[in-house]
Amino acid sequence: MNYWLIFWTVSLVVAGVSFAVITGIVVVKGYRDLRLMFSRLAEQRTHDHE
Amino acid sequence: MHFAAIDWFIVVAYLILSVAAGLLGKKYIANVSHYLVAGRELGMYAGIATLAATEIGTITFMYNGELGYKYGFAAFAAALISGLVMIVVGRTGLVVQRFRSLKLMTVPEYFERKYSRGLRLLAGILVATGGILNMGVFLKIEGEFLTIVSGIDSRYLVAVMTAILLLELVYTVVGGMMAVVITDFIQYAMLSVATILVSIYAVYHAGWGNIVAKVFSTMGSAGFDPIQNPKFGITFLIWQILLWFSIHTCWQTTAMRVFSTKSPEISKRVMTWTGFIYLGRGMLPMLWGAAALTLFGLGAIRNGVPLPVVNGQTLAPIDAMPAMLASILGPGVKGIVVAGMLAATMSVNSSYLLGWSAVISQDIILPIREQMGKPALSSRSQIFVNRLANLFVGLFLMFWGLYYTPPGAVYLYLNITGTIYLAGTFICVIGGLYWKRANTSGGYLAMLLGAAGAIIPFFFLHWSENITGLCAFGLATLGLVLGSLLGRRAPTSSTGVRLESTL
Repeated sequence: MNYWLIFWTVSLVVAGVSFAVITGIVVVKGYRDLRLMFSRLAEQRTHDHE
Repeated sequence: MHFAAIDWFIVVAYLILSVAAGLLGKKYIANVSHYLVAGRELGMYAGIATLAATEIGTITFMYNGELGYKYGFAAFAAALISGLVMIVVGRTGLVVQRFRSLKLMTVPEYFERKYSRGLRLLAGILVATGGILNMGVFLKIEGEFLTIVSGIDSRYLVAVMTAILLLELVYTVVGGMMAVVITDFIQYAMLSVATILVSIYAVYHAGWGNIVAKVFSTMGSAGFDPIQNPKFGITFLIWQILLWFSIHTCWQTTAMRVFSTKSPEISKRVMTWTGFIYLGRGMLPMLWGAAALTLFGLGAIRNGVPLPVVNGQTLAPIDAMPAMLASILGPGVKGIVVAGMLAATMSVNSSYLLGWSAVISQDIILPIREQMGKPALSSRSQIFVNRLANLFVGLFLMFWGLYYTPPGAVYLYLNITGTIYLAGTFICVIGGLYWKRANTSGGYLAMLLGAAGAIIPFFFLHWSENITGLCAFGLATLGLVLGSLLGRRAPTSSTGVRLESTL
């Protein structure tokens, strides 16, 4: 049981830390991604109308 | 009533912001590709946010919390497999890279490219049926979570379910994938804050040492060792590996994110990084479940685990985790957590509504129209059909969710209903992309045997979920191999797409 407990404790720490760190990065850079996506789509729309 | 005025303020403010942001998406919709796959302009970080938000809902927290309560740390094996398999899919590009290169909008669309229109229709029917039945239990369980945590009287469960569904429908029907991507981003931020907060509160209140001691005293070493745990074992682990490979590659809502990315390379990166999020998606709520067992596991023993008792009232194991949140979270924090859970609920449900309605419109209604010799629909008309399908799925969910209660652990029910179509779909996709001999006869046999292999053993022979799952994947493989070897060989290109009609 001890080996499993150590294994799950390490896995849980890795999971929790990855979750928090990736979330931080995604929230900051994802916002930029979305702005870029919408500006490209707006551009496409303008071209389609022309 | 558990909610303070500040909690209500946070929740209502979030709802207004979310729906308003979702409605903004409408102005970017010019054609059906914008409506279903966001014009294939999704970057890596927004892709990770929308994929994670789509597959992390209140339902996810509830079923993982239930697993943690019932099986302790041994349940972590399921979470570990789901994350590791996603990382492998991302690193290798298995299926997802080729799917993105083919510029698909739905998974069954591949069946027409590789096999035949008839098989696309069959796949569409199975995918939509299995997917909608799968989603059918979401609303009730999410409603239960919200009523327990907020303290709303359970008589208002139906009203809560209806309100959630209507809000999701408003922006999903109007803005399609554009609205879903915007709201997913906000919802991902909210649900992540809630997840981290709840994890800290749960460990702080229950105590790490107490959680370990309670799991050991209740389950012994089976609470830690998934191979020794009678509910799991080797068969469970093998089935889970197969199931998660199929979910990460062929599950319509996940695949739609792959289809929406800017390039095949970005789709791989999105999968890889979301795989790490998946580890926390499973393990953190399982930990909350084990913490709820520690705090409230005081009732009569059922299936080897004490039932939760809260304020003298005995609850079902699945309700232990929300009851714990109602008890340990203070004013303000509770509002943030419930807003986060609502965000999780809405992001999953809106994406699922869009995913299954896309299959109904693109893979069932449109092919039938074409088969009947009717002219192809314009992009605008296709969007209209999608919106109608969205409304239909929403209405069905409302009624199914009210009257159906899944037997046993919700996680396993969801796995089995998913397996009904995932077994055949995954085997057909793998065969179609990587085995030149795969043909239409094999595809039909794989889909039918895969579905029969999940339905008959589980619902009629009452076999365990593990054996049922393995049986479904085994029969689907057998069907594809036998049908393809015995049937006519179809010439295909190197991308796994047929070169001539095999209808």
